[in-house]
Amino acid sequence: MAHRILIIDDEDDIREVAALSLESVAGWEVVTANSGAQGLARAAECMPDAILLDVMMPGMDGPTTFRELRKNPATAHIPVLLLTAKVQANDQRRFADLGVEAVLFKPFDPLTLSNQIAGVLGWN
Amino acid sequence: MDASEQTALTEAINKLWTQFLPQMRERVGVLETSARAFAADKLSLAQHAEANDAAHKLAGALGSFGLTKGTVLARELEIMYSRESGPDPAVAARLDEIAAQLRSIIENRK
Repeated sequence: MAHRILIIDDEDDIREVAALSLESVAGWEVVTANSGAQGLARAAECMPDAILLDVMMPGMDGPTTFRELRKNPATAHIPVLLLTAKVQANDQRRFADLGVEAVLFKPFDPLTLSNQIAGVLGWN
Repeated sequence: MDASEQTALTEAINKLWTQFLPQMRERVGVLETSARAFAADKLSLAQHAEANDAAHKLAGALGSFGLTKGTVLARELEIMYSRESGPDPAVAARLDEIAAQLRSIIENRK
C-alpha cells in the first residue's frame, strides 16, 4: 500500500514541487496544507504516515505546529520531518532538539526527496 | 525510475516553473528595488524585511528547479539582509550585482 504524506508549507512552489516529486517518483499519496492551522486539521482528518513540515510560515510556524501535533493524542505518533532553507548550524541544532525525525533542507532534489524521507523512516 | 518517467518528471517540473515564474520575478524585483534603495540610503524597515524574505524564498526554491547557482546567490543575499541593522554599506554594489545575476538566471532557465 502506498504511503500517505502530508506536506505543510505556505509556499505554493515548494509544496507543488514536493508533491509532484513524492507522487511521481515514489508513488505516494500526497495531501497538502498551506498553513500550520490547516496542517493540524488535515493531519487529524487523513492520518498520514508522515508529515513534511516547513519551518518558517506566517501565523503558526513549523516548531509550533509540531508541538500542537504532539499534544493531540490522535496525531502525536505521526513522524514529522522538518523542511527548512535555514542552513546555519545553530538553527539546525535548535530544530533537531525539537524531537522531529529529521531536518531536511531546501532546496531539495525532486528526484531524491522521497529516498531521503524513506531512508529516515526506514521505508526502504 | 526509468528514463521515460524521469523525462516526464522533468517536463512536469518545467511546467511548474512556468507557472511560478511570475512569483520568482516578483521576488527578484523586490531584491532589485531594495538594492537600489539601499544604495541611495533609503532602504525602509519594511523593504529590508521584504528583501530578507524574498532572498530566503529564492534560496529555498531555485535549486529545486535546477538553478543551484541561484540558490547560492540568494543565500548570500539572505545573509547580507539578515543583519538586524541592515546590510553593511560596503556590500551595496554586491546587492545590486547579485540581484542582476538572479534576474539573468531566472530569465534564462531553459
